[in-house]
Amino acid sequence: MSRLFRSTTLHFILALLIGLGVGLLYSWRLSPVTYVDANPAMLRADFKDQYRIVIAASYAATQDLARARARLNLLGDADPTAELSAQAQRMLAEGESFETVRPLAQLATDLKQGFASNPVSISPTPFPTFNTPIADVTSTPEETQETAIEIEEEATTTPLPTVFFEQTPLVPVTVETNAPRPTFTPTPGPGSPFALVAQETVCEPGQAPRMQFTLQDSRRREIAGVEIIVTWAQGEDRFFTGFKPELGDGYADFLMQADTVYNIRISAGGTFVPNISAPVCTDPNGAQYPGSLALTFQQP
Amino acid sequence: MSSTNIIKIILALVLGIALGLAYGWVIDPVEYTDVPPNILREDYRVDYVLMVAEAYQNDLDDETAVRRLAVLGSESPAAITTSALEYANHNSFTGDEIQILQQLLTAMQTYQPQGNSNP
Repeated sequence: MSRLFRSTTLHFILALLIGLGVGLLYSWRLSPVTYVDANPAMLRADFKDQYRIVIAASYAATQDLARARARLNLLGDADPTAELSAQAQRMLAEGESFETVRPLAQLATDLKQGFASNPVSISPTPFPTFNTPIADVTSTPEETQETAIEIEEEATTTPLPTVFFEQTPLVPVTVETNAPRPTFTPTPGPGSPFALVAQETVCEPGQAPRMQFTLQDSRRREIAGVEIIVTWAQGEDRFFTGFKPELGDGYADFLMQADTVYNIRISAGGTFVPNISAPVCTDPNGAQYPGSLALTFQQP
Repeated sequence: MSSTNIIKIILALVLGIALGLAYGWVIDPVEYTDVPPNILREDYRVDYVLMVAEAYQNDLDDETAVRRLAVLGSESPAAITTSALEYANHNSFTGDEIQILQQLLTAMQTYQPQGNSNP
């Protein structure tokens, strides 16, 4: 009796486990839950990068910082600002142009400072309107009519260049050149050159010698996105301020060789500073080592 | 083995399968972490298209807009924008947002890939 009971119980448990295994195999392997309504936090890393680029490009157009922040939060990054900066540096390292990377850097900077540094009102030029039939994509005739009227009203009140398309829109015939709208550039104009206002030796034993740039406007606010060109006998390097927002929006640095003489040029304004080399520091034991330079440039 | 025992075993098997399915589908389903954008929920897709439209408003770069929309799937950029515009019209998007989506749609409808400008 006991043997029979044990046998039946064993069979029961075995059957249960086999059933469990079959159920899991089916639900995890053969027919797993399929997602059709994913959220951005689930995106693959490269698509998240693309998402950030589009968020930054959108922000460059709208300067809506709250919305950009909300959109970045959808990606589930622990520190969206740091992630933006890291992506910007990654893209620069991969050879992307600064123009491509600039919106990311700008958004990271604005997130850090908490306000839009380039309000939309600075460039109020409206978008050129298209004098073309409105596509019938709305579900009700009333809505279509409303949209058509709205666009038509815009077209009649907008004084800017207008692009005309023929009814068959495959080959647009432009009456005027469709010029991109002017965009605000955070780099200062040529009329306001940066001047070297401070040069300090920084002695940090064990640290590689570097130039530590800080670029400020006339009100001593640090400026991101200013190109710095460093040249020496064997070569040249170009980089921009603002890619290490944790050290300041106008900060950039450059590793120096101890025995090399460098020339510095600030691209905007053309300031030229020749004959810069690593200073000599002395540690408490009297040993000498190359130090760093803190260079502060400011607009008058 | 008696028929009663066989029935018990079959019941146990069915119970196990049911538990396995419940665990695999409900309690601890497969989690996707590296998904492509084409399975984004519709409101996220539309917001993405809206961002592309806002960026397009700034740079007027058809090629870039097409490339950005292409990550949303194999549909044409115009079809993707049309779907977004339909969603916007039905979900209380602002007039400005609908307008810039309309402008993007116009651009996508007239877009011709480079090198194929002559019909």
